[in-house]
Amino acid sequence: MALRMWASSTANALKLSSSASKSHLLPAFSISRCFSSVLEGLKYANSHEWVKHEGSVATIGISDHAQDHLGEVVFVELPEEKSSVSKEKNFGAVESVKATSEIISPISGEVIEVNTKLADSPGLINSSPYEEGWMIKVKPNNPAELESLMGPKEYTKFCEEEDAAH
Amino acid sequence: MRTPRTLEVWKLGTVNYLKSLKLQDKLVSERKANRIPDTLLSLQHPPTYTLGKRRTDHNLLIPEAELKSIGAELHYTQRGGDITFHGPHQAILYPILSLRSIGFGARSYVEALERSMIEFSSLYGVKARAGNKCETGVWVGDRKIGAIGVRISSGITCHGLAFNIDPDMKYFEHIVPCGIADKEVTSLRRETDAQLPSEEVIHEQLVTCLAKVFSYDDVVVKEDPSVILNILEDDD
Repeated sequence: MALRMWASSTANALKLSSSASKSHLLPAFSISRCFSSVLEGLKYANSHEWVKHEGSVATIGISDHAQDHLGEVVFVELPEEKSSVSKEKNFGAVESVKATSEIISPISGEVIEVNTKLADSPGLINSSPYEEGWMIKVKPNNPAELESLMGPKEYTKFCEEEDAAH
Repeated sequence: MRTPRTLEVWKLGTVNYLKSLKLQDKLVSERKANRIPDTLLSLQHPPTYTLGKRRTDHNLLIPEAELKSIGAELHYTQRGGDITFHGPHQAILYPILSLRSIGFGARSYVEALERSMIEFSSLYGVKARAGNKCETGVWVGDRKIGAIGVRISSGITCHGLAFNIDPDMKYFEHIVPCGIADKEVTSLRRETDAQLPSEEVIHEQLVTCLAKVFSYDDVVVKEDPSVILNILEDDD
């Protein structure tokens, strides 16, 4: 993963755009996922969840970095609608490679919608972590909490440092 | 220059399953608060069937009521993985580690647990391999010798691995082990003609292999962990 993130930021820095160079670095599939692995317009927690805030609704999921480090997701446990989530407290879990990992909420609020597709297709979290793999939609009760989350550039750096440290 | 990393090992002998869960809960909180270093529990269980978070109890092939008559308990847990059996002569390691401090995600952690068991198997000339996709664990050919089931909460691991030294294989007949119907379960005893040392030595070797795979600089054996187990009993 570290190599991929490095390649991504290096390629961005050098503004590589020719397809020949790209295919020289990494297989095409990985490259396109590298460049989209941190989305603009989202906020990120240091536990690797993302939040998309649109009006009075915040959508939450886990990042590309997170799904890659988890492996293939086979089971997702999510809260019920109308339950509440709290910032930095776990609201559910995913299972991959015989490991259950908690998912931590980046914000507090009331759950207004849960992605029911994940029950039958948990792999959406791997294949589409920012779109079809969304987990819950929340009505935030303290929008100021979003301020303390990371933006895309900060989060990219955070991931690179985390992967490089070992 | 990185700080030397220490693994503290608790040799616990045979521990009742619920007691081990209670102990792990306590240790996970302690590790999260940084009051203890990365800790490894080395133990065995009396005959116990356990289920993971997905509660796949359709893979238990005898009625729950009959378990007592075969001398076994059943427990539901929050770990990943399917149904499994733990019992005497199966070496269990429960690492309570901070994943952030070792730089692992769930997948790389589980792969390191697999490598630990593979490395250990090689000490006895047994060529084990990691499972294919969806078959996490350690295999000799098509026979499963080591199982994994892990829980990660607040970035701290608990539960872990179970390696078959020479358990009573009849217990496995009452389940679809790990939910995989067409594969056998095996043990170190079955896979090698080598003379096996005492189980205490075997456990130590397995611990050493894990410490090596996880690049710990120091391994410290905790003095008298039975004291902690007694304290847990008093808490009841």
